[in-house]
Amino acid sequence: MDPQSIVTAAKLIGAGLAMIGAMGGGIGIGLSAHGAVQGIARNPDVAGQVQTNMILGIAFAEAVAIYCLVVALLILFVVK
Amino acid sequence: MADAQKKKSNKWKEIGLPLGIAVVLSGLGWYFFPPVMPHIQLPAEPVLEQPLLRLGGIWGDIYLTNTLVATLLIDVVLLGLVWAVQKAARSGDLIPRGISGVLEATLEAIYNLTETTAGKWTETIFPYFATFFLVVLIANWTELLPGVDSIGWLHHVEEGVKGFGHVGPFLMKKPGDFQVMAWVRVASTDLNFTIALALVSVFMTQVIGVRALGLPYFKKFFNIEAIFKVKPMYMGVIDFFVSILEIISEVAKIISFSFRLFGNLFAGSVMLFVLGYLVPILLQSGVLLLEAFVGIVQALVFGMLTLMFMALATHPHGGEEHGEAHA
Repeated sequence: MDPQSIVTAAKLIGAGLAMIGAMGGGIGIGLSAHGAVQGIARNPDVAGQVQTNMILGIAFAEAVAIYCLVVALLILFVVK
Repeated sequence: MADAQKKKSNKWKEIGLPLGIAVVLSGLGWYFFPPVMPHIQLPAEPVLEQPLLRLGGIWGDIYLTNTLVATLLIDVVLLGLVWAVQKAARSGDLIPRGISGVLEATLEAIYNLTETTAGKWTETIFPYFATFFLVVLIANWTELLPGVDSIGWLHHVEEGVKGFGHVGPFLMKKPGDFQVMAWVRVASTDLNFTIALALVSVFMTQVIGVRALGLPYFKKFFNIEAIFKVKPMYMGVIDFFVSILEIISEVAKIISFSFRLFGNLFAGSVMLFVLGYLVPILLQSGVLLLEAFVGIVQALVFGMLTLMFMALATHPHGGEEHGEAHA
């Protein structure tokens, strides 16, 4: 087994581990959708406003998962 | 009822024919030109061999990279929009039509959004919000154009990178050491572009803060006053150190602004590459729809966050804590 293949294996494992952080983003998106649906169920008139804010909130929660993705992509494509 | 059903079947006939043709064509394309896995790399590739500017030293040389080409294209499109709106405004036609109508509706929605958050500073903050929104939106949507990321020079790859052979101008699934170096690559997949936007946003936030509050704006960062005013004294010292943390939060803003946009778009591009390689029929079209949505949401988020930070900067930093937008 040559050293380069060990490095490649370590890179792949590291990228996989980095994506564990996406769990937090998933939980955040779920929570914001939960809150939004409850809000809309109580007061359907403001559905439009709630939806806009929900999408914004989802974008912020997703950003955290995206940071993990950036780290994973950096490990895969930049680290030699 | 029968009418509705008939209408429905007509609709399917209308959609079905182009859809069938598209599937057959992409199947033929898949058979004759099997897709190859493109080489994914983070830094932008230079389109021209020679650097545009030789600065030397720590600055390095400036090359015409493919993301820079995309940025110039964005500028051309934006100037074209300006020209279209100007023509519509000069014609004296009060009914907004076509491009100028779409822009008017968009900018009106943005203006109303600004007004609800910024209050009397709307006139100052609105241009930044609108500019960031339009620039980021057009930058993100270049991803949807065919030919972006896929048309370019064929060049020999360096060692350790998988290359392919070519037939005429097409990269084929054959042994060889060629890869495509695209002429145009989405500007937002270059960190230089996103960091530049983030720096402009954060710097102008400080400028608007100083314009709104004068020099006392910097009390937010160096709250020396608190040491003498707040009793007991150690609480004042704590307040002082908390105010220094605000400087770190400004730096964190630059990082989160730039990496959010960069990460979303780079991940989207990689997803399009990989899906186009694995499932060349139809699936990529669905992902393109998703990417269109991601593009507009990220543009809106960039603009909205700029708006919120600028609106926060115009408020005097009183005793009460403002709800801060994180991430």
